[in-house]
Amino acid sequence: MSKRTFGSLLVGLLLGLGTGVFLGWGPFPVEYKNSALSALAPHYQEEYTVMVAEGYRVDPEVNAALERLRPLGKENTIAYVIDLTERYISQSNIRAIPIMVALVEAIIGPDNLPPVMQLYRPTPTATSSAPSAP
Amino acid sequence: MTTSKHVRIGKSISWAALIVGIALGLAAGLFYTWEIDPVIERNTVPWQLGDAAREDYVVAVALSYAANQDLLLAVDRLRAAGPNRDVWEMVAGIACDRIKTGKTVSNSDIRVIRALEQLYAPQGASGCADGLYPTPAPVVFSTPEPVQSPTPTLAPPPSKTPTLPAPTPLTAEDVRPTSTPAAGGYALGRLQSFCDPDRSGVIEVRVYDRRGEGVPGLPVTVTWSGSERDSFFTGLKAEREAGYADFAMQTGRTYTISLPGLSAPFPTVEAVPCTAQDGQQAIASYWVNFQQRAD
Repeated sequence: MSKRTFGSLLVGLLLGLGTGVFLGWGPFPVEYKNSALSALAPHYQEEYTVMVAEGYRVDPEVNAALERLRPLGKENTIAYVIDLTERYISQSNIRAIPIMVALVEAIIGPDNLPPVMQLYRPTPTATSSAPSAP
Repeated sequence: MTTSKHVRIGKSISWAALIVGIALGLAAGLFYTWEIDPVIERNTVPWQLGDAAREDYVVAVALSYAANQDLLLAVDRLRAAGPNRDVWEMVAGIACDRIKTGKTVSNSDIRVIRALEQLYAPQGASGCADGLYPTPAPVVFSTPEPVQSPTPTLAPPPSKTPTLPAPTPLTAEDVRPTSTPAAGGYALGRLQSFCDPDRSGVIEVRVYDRRGEGVPGLPVTVTWSGSERDSFFTGLKAEREAGYADFAMQTGRTYTISLPGLSAPFPTVEAVPCTAQDGQQAIASYWVNFQQRAD
């Protein structure tokens, strides 16, 4: 192979490689079509979690609810649900808070519910004395 | 001048080699970016989900709809999962597939079928799951009308004093210790996880009566994966405690523990990896104590 041919081949290779990498990572990346729930954008993952928590009202099986959350691929599903609930409380997400707190209460039991969630319990603890009128 | 430069460049380049090089380089570049190091899959949207994940997503939409009855919200969510499809047929198809693949084992599965049908049936879609698990009609208790009863008559006195049969003597084999649920039932007293490589992935159950003493012979049931279950008895490891029993978990599974007379909610634990204080890796274990209720 002459120097001229080799040089041209090398230049062509470099040009082609650069163009291919640009196209493959830029305008024409791999398009995933068989994604798992764990690959969903965080917004959709959280929406899915709220849907499952809401479904717990219809299907009151804690185990089934946790199984539905498992495909999200969280390292610790229970900790994830608690964290998300606490975040909703800090964000005052009025719609999602009672739904999520009900699921957390069902998972860890009413006695283990973090204090910040006690306020939003669907079944509040009876107080020892009724509040007196001012 | 310009012409002579073009001639010089043209002479120093082999166009055939250049084109072959570009083609090879392009192929190599695309192979690298599509196969070896593709763009990391992240931030996907529901329409990109695979069939199994889409089914999970639609089931969640249906259960959510069954709870909140917000049809517009459900439609929005379904369109996100199948933008170019008839979403109601998609839901009916998923219900049908679940029936065909035998996902109707537990009560939970049946509630899912009902929720799916509740979503697609009113929209005119149909499938093989239609009417298989109808939602039970609410039970209405009617108050009985008071009716005038005839004057009661006294029962005639017994003519003869009945004689009791002679008691059969019990043998030792007939007497088997049975454990009946406590009248007051049990409540969860403690649920706490711990990380110990020597006792990795163990549920340690302890059942105490009102006086705080261990209750042996009580069946403890552990369920996981919807329909899998195992039962074992307290007190079989007398070297530990009278009311003690344990169960070995498998990593990644979630277990619900119940025992007779236990009031809901039943405690649920998950076998997740943990790091002990000495840095060793293990599976989280749990102390689960039940206390007999006072009432």
